[in-house]
Amino acid sequence: MTEPLKYKTEFAEEIYALENGPYIKKCMQCGMCDVSCATRNEMDFSPRELFMLLRTGKREDFFKANTMWMCSTCLMCKVRCPRGIPLVDVMHDLKSHAIRLGYTDPPQASFYQAFWQEILGRGRVFEGGLMARYYLKRGWSEIRKGFEMRDLGMKMVMHSRIPIKPPKAIRGLKGMRAIIERAQELTQKEGR
Amino acid sequence: MRYSFYPGCSMEGAAVPYLKSFEAVADVLYMGLEEIPDWNCCGATVASGVIGDYPAQVLAARNLALAEPKRFDIVVPCSSCYMNLALTNKKFQDDKHFRAMVKEALRAGGLKYRGTLKVRQIVEVLINDVGIDKIRAAVRKPLAGLRVAGYVGCQTPRVFPWQFDDPEQPVFMDRIIEALGATPVKFPMKARCCGSSHSLTKPEITTGSGYNIISCALEDGAQVIVTPCPMCQMNLDAYQGMIKQHHQLKTEMPVLFLTQLMAIAFDLPPAAWALKYNIVSPFEALAPYGVKP
Amino acid sequence: MSKKIGVYICSGCGIGDALDMNALAKVATKEYKVPVCKNDAFLCGRDGVEIIKKDIGDEGVNCVVVAGCSGRVNYDVFDFGPSVVVERVNLRERVAWTQEPGDEDTQAMAEDYLRMTLAKFKNLELPEPFIGEDLSKKILVVGGGLTGMTSALEAAKAGYEVLLVEKEDTLGGWLRKSYKIIPLKAPYTEPEDPGLAGRVKEIESNPRIKVYTGATIEKTSGAPGMFDVVIRQAGGTVSERVGAVVLATGAVPYDPARLEHLGYGSSPNVITQAQMEELSSRGQITRPSDGKAVQKVVFVQCAGSRDRDHLPYCSAACCVESIKQALYVKAKNPEASVYVFYKDIRSSGQYEHLYKKAQTEGVIFVKADITGVTDDGGNLTVEAQDLLMGSPTMADEVDLVVLANGMVPTTAIEDPALAEAARAEAEAAPAKEGQEAPPATEASMVIRSNILNLEYRQGPELPSLKYGFPDSHFICFPYETRRTGIYAAGSVRRPMDMAQAVEDAAGAALKAIQCVEMTARGMAVHPRSGDLSYPDFQMSRCTQCKRCTEECPFGAINEDAKANPLPNPTRCRRCGTCMGACPERIISFKNYSVPMIGNMLKAIEVPEEDEEKPRILIFACENDAIPALDMAGINRLKYSKWVRVIPVRCLGSLNLIWVNDAMSRGIDGVLLMGCKHGDDYQCHFMKGSELAGVRLSKVSETLDRLGLESERVTMTEVSIMDYDKIPKIIGDFAEKLDKLGPNPMKGF
Ligand code: SF4
Ligand code: SF4
Ligand code: SF4
Repeated sequence: MTEPLKYKTEFAEEIYALENGPYIKKCMQCGMCDVSCATRNEMDFSPRELFMLLRTGKREDFFKANTMWMCSTCLMCKVRCPRGIPLVDVMHDLKSHAIRLGYTDPPQASFYQAFWQEILGRGRVFEGGLMARYYLKRGWSEIRKGFEMRDLGMKMVMHSRIPIKPPKAIRGLKGMRAIIERAQELTQKEGR
Repeated sequence: MRYSFYPGCSMEGAAVPYLKSFEAVADVLYMGLEEIPDWNCCGATVASGVIGDYPAQVLAARNLALAEPKRFDIVVPCSSCYMNLALTNKKFQDDKHFRAMVKEALRAGGLKYRGTLKVRQIVEVLINDVGIDKIRAAVRKPLAGLRVAGYVGCQTPRVFPWQFDDPEQPVFMDRIIEALGATPVKFPMKARCCGSSHSLTKPEITTGSGYNIISCALEDGAQVIVTPCPMCQMNLDAYQGMIKQHHQLKTEMPVLFLTQLMAIAFDLPPAAWALKYNIVSPFEALAPYGVKP
Repeated sequence: MSKKIGVYICSGCGIGDALDMNALAKVATKEYKVPVCKNDAFLCGRDGVEIIKKDIGDEGVNCVVVAGCSGRVNYDVFDFGPSVVVERVNLRERVAWTQEPGDEDTQAMAEDYLRMTLAKFKNLELPEPFIGEDLSKKILVVGGGLTGMTSALEAAKAGYEVLLVEKEDTLGGWLRKSYKIIPLKAPYTEPEDPGLAGRVKEIESNPRIKVYTGATIEKTSGAPGMFDVVIRQAGGTVSERVGAVVLATGAVPYDPARLEHLGYGSSPNVITQAQMEELSSRGQITRPSDGKAVQKVVFVQCAGSRDRDHLPYCSAACCVESIKQALYVKAKNPEASVYVFYKDIRSSGQYEHLYKKAQTEGVIFVKADITGVTDDGGNLTVEAQDLLMGSPTMADEVDLVVLANGMVPTTAIEDPALAEAARAEAEAAPAKEGQEAPPATEASMVIRSNILNLEYRQGPELPSLKYGFPDSHFICFPYETRRTGIYAAGSVRRPMDMAQAVEDAAGAALKAIQCVEMTARGMAVHPRSGDLSYPDFQMSRCTQCKRCTEECPFGAINEDAKANPLPNPTRCRRCGTCMGACPERIISFKNYSVPMIGNMLKAIEVPEEDEEKPRILIFACENDAIPALDMAGINRLKYSKWVRVIPVRCLGSLNLIWVNDAMSRGIDGVLLMGCKHGDDYQCHFMKGSELAGVRLSKVSETLDRLGLESERVTMTEVSIMDYDKIPKIIGDFAEKLDKLGPNPMKGF
């Protein structure tokens, strides 16, 4: 028989302290998000289950869950949640918190980081650059998978959908970085 | 009617046809577009997942600050860009604490935003500012008999649910399709998720959703799908080959940007249709309307 | 009353297109020799109504027959004051809109309906209201808790004298025993002070309210407008006359001694919600076993409720009460761990806000089935099956377990002495030679809760609907009990929280006010509100069979020692069940009687057998079946042209002689359309359709005697929403009759 679950608050408090964390407390486990979610079938835990898991204090299980990474930001749960929980925004918090803590195994985590580097590097995102950064992060196995998609890439190129040259960086890149840095400092000051 | 225009990164890449057709259509409808100078990426659905909501929204706010001197409403064609800019703007206007925090961060880059702008979604602008009558009046080549599935996509109607349409079964875009002389099909999946950025990391998700969406459109008798979202267009158009590989898709389904269909109905020159960028060929479906490669 | 009939036939709304107006008029003028008969194309218009008014004034017409739309519409337009009888012939919804226009059978149907209405007049009089003697408009409120106090105040504010009777020495009920109560106002997030002193003061300073504390009701006799109550207080008794009663005696907690499986009794640290109120009002919340301040508290919901072996129903208030108490714990010690183990959280109404508040304060809610509560020297362990995670779960080192032990209405609790006395009496009654034991009657099923002690033939307390709650219909008729003039409010009516009780209190007060006002005018209350008729007993022919006294769903008829019925018209709801019950047919209303309906059905023309035009008679309940038939017409649903409908007040008023008459006149079948009966009945008179069913089971005798098949008489349930099924119901019955062939009595 499985060990009985015990509910405790220490770990949950850590998550509740994130920007949109306080909302999670209001989840009443109705399951509306489960049935609304576009990618529920891909998830280890539905959002509802994840919020209950949080209350059991199972930290590792929580961060290793792919729930937040599977969220495709379709906003359906956010629109439907009877408790007004902005689940999508909560998922943002969980993703960034996971990255901060080093839980970056899922391919999506690499993709997110690649995307972000692309923004920091240029101010805009260039699809070619994004893909290069992503495959670099993921290494061989993913590149092999990427090969399967070469047809698709070829078509994109043939139809001029991928520019050959990356766009120039924006002029105010330095200022933009300064703004982000300041925002991140402020976040830290707020303790989240 | 003049607008600050936020094209977003995709319009510089995969969504070129969107840009080209939109600019041409806007011209016909007397919408003056002024691109926001030196705009930056809105953060897409990704930045907040790396650095958190607030810093990502500051990133979006930089664009608002850059647009503010012109004092025009900002029109945004891409759904993710719209979501980020509009939500940031709304929070900025409603939440005092957030406002102060954003202002402070912007100051580090020598920018200032006072919160005077409105961020507008392209379809909503077409309906509420331009108006259906004007669109109808601009039609030179009515698309009579063309059955169109209006794929609004997931974010557009849900950013502000009920503000201008039903968040789950929106009809606002169908009114434009109708104005073009075409017939919008019922298409219950019109606001379901296309798989979004999973296309790279987990393409099975994208091909799975794409299959469901295209089959639904086919079942309702659609000949083409139109969408106002760059991500949706790419996932349904570029990935259709993969969808066909993995699922039993009966026939091919051309996927156009809404503005491409408008350009055709307005009888603009083929350059404005920008159809050469479309991967699934739309020419067969559109042949009766004089559309040739 | 000497009657002068005027018939006014409307040809509007498609009636004129479907029917031959002249032929119709001839039925009135030639067959029935009606002195005034007019056609109009728009009778409900101003000019149309003027025609009628003019005839009333100039010609002395005092019986107006409007042949046109259903009597359910335009009743205000065709109201010509209390001295003019108005009868409506429904040619629109029931004929023109459901039948083939211009068809001879459609015309025959319309002519029959006109005949049936005209035939009514022979036995129809203007009702004269019954006005009781020495009527009182005072309202008695029984129970001085939150509901009772609120009811008293509401009635007093509306200008009525109130007597408030409380059995404890002070007012307050649960308010007195609560540390705090659930919030009654926005934002519904903070438990609030019970506010007892303020409420008591308001009552005491209101000159219209007279309070009896430490008092009980020894006897309630009489009827609405003239209830005589004997109040026992401090050894003496007082008699008071009141017009109506609000019963607000509330509920008591479910006996925790029966919750052993949840640890009650095995540890002093397993307590009830009531004990928790007491503990909380003493300052720091401590464990009963050793006085240690609590650090971990578990609330166990549905302790007894929603449990077949205990209380099958949801007690409705305990979820919010537990949430409130969880907030006590958090307020006194924010560090404490608080768990609520629940089946479902049912924080109805505004209490979603309180629930959210508890969640944000860190209370953990676990949906689980409790499997055990064990005590280890004061520390408790709660084990359960977690239904959300699909795994066993537990909370250990728990200081306090609070059982949400639900509520039982005071009306469900038997007074042991009274119950014993009743049993002894029943046994002592000499069993009559050669007779079976009498069937269980209403009276023997009433729970002797020693609250109202009614002097009613059908038992001393209110009959219960379910689980001992004295409501008569949870959804449609709130506050109504099966004793006219007695309205239940608050948790005695159904389980509810305090906010709902406050609302209930006002609702029941209003009902009581309606009752005294209607009674003063001699009118019926719900559902025939405004009806002036009442049953008249021709006592010289009564055989003391007791059927009416037993069957009246409202206990309106008492009995004297010789079993003579003693009607109480102000208790009567005018359903006519007694009229249907009486084998001697001596009960009738001025405008509704056995011979009147008899004449109606005799007015139906029954074609000879070789014409192959069968006739189907439908007795339809006015409350649901008639509206459903109307709606079928409004939706232009076609049904059999052979039917003739007679509306009845309730199927309970169906007298078997009508079936007998119909059959012997050659009518091929009789269909009864009434409300659903049984446990979740829809009958507006509670028992009417059920009794009709019982009577019908005896009709086969009659049919056998006539040599007819019993399928010719069938009863069916029709609710107002069943209108779309009407054509099929009628069609199926017609088909069945077709198979049986024509009624052989035709032409006799
Ligand atoms: S819809 Fe909202 S309240 Fe319901 S389970 Fe999901 S997050 Fe919780
Ligand atoms: S109110 Fe809650 S605890 Fe009480 S019986 Fe109903 S569901 Fe159970
Ligand atoms: S049976 Fe109906 S009509 Fe007769 S006394 Fe009772 S309530 Fe009145």
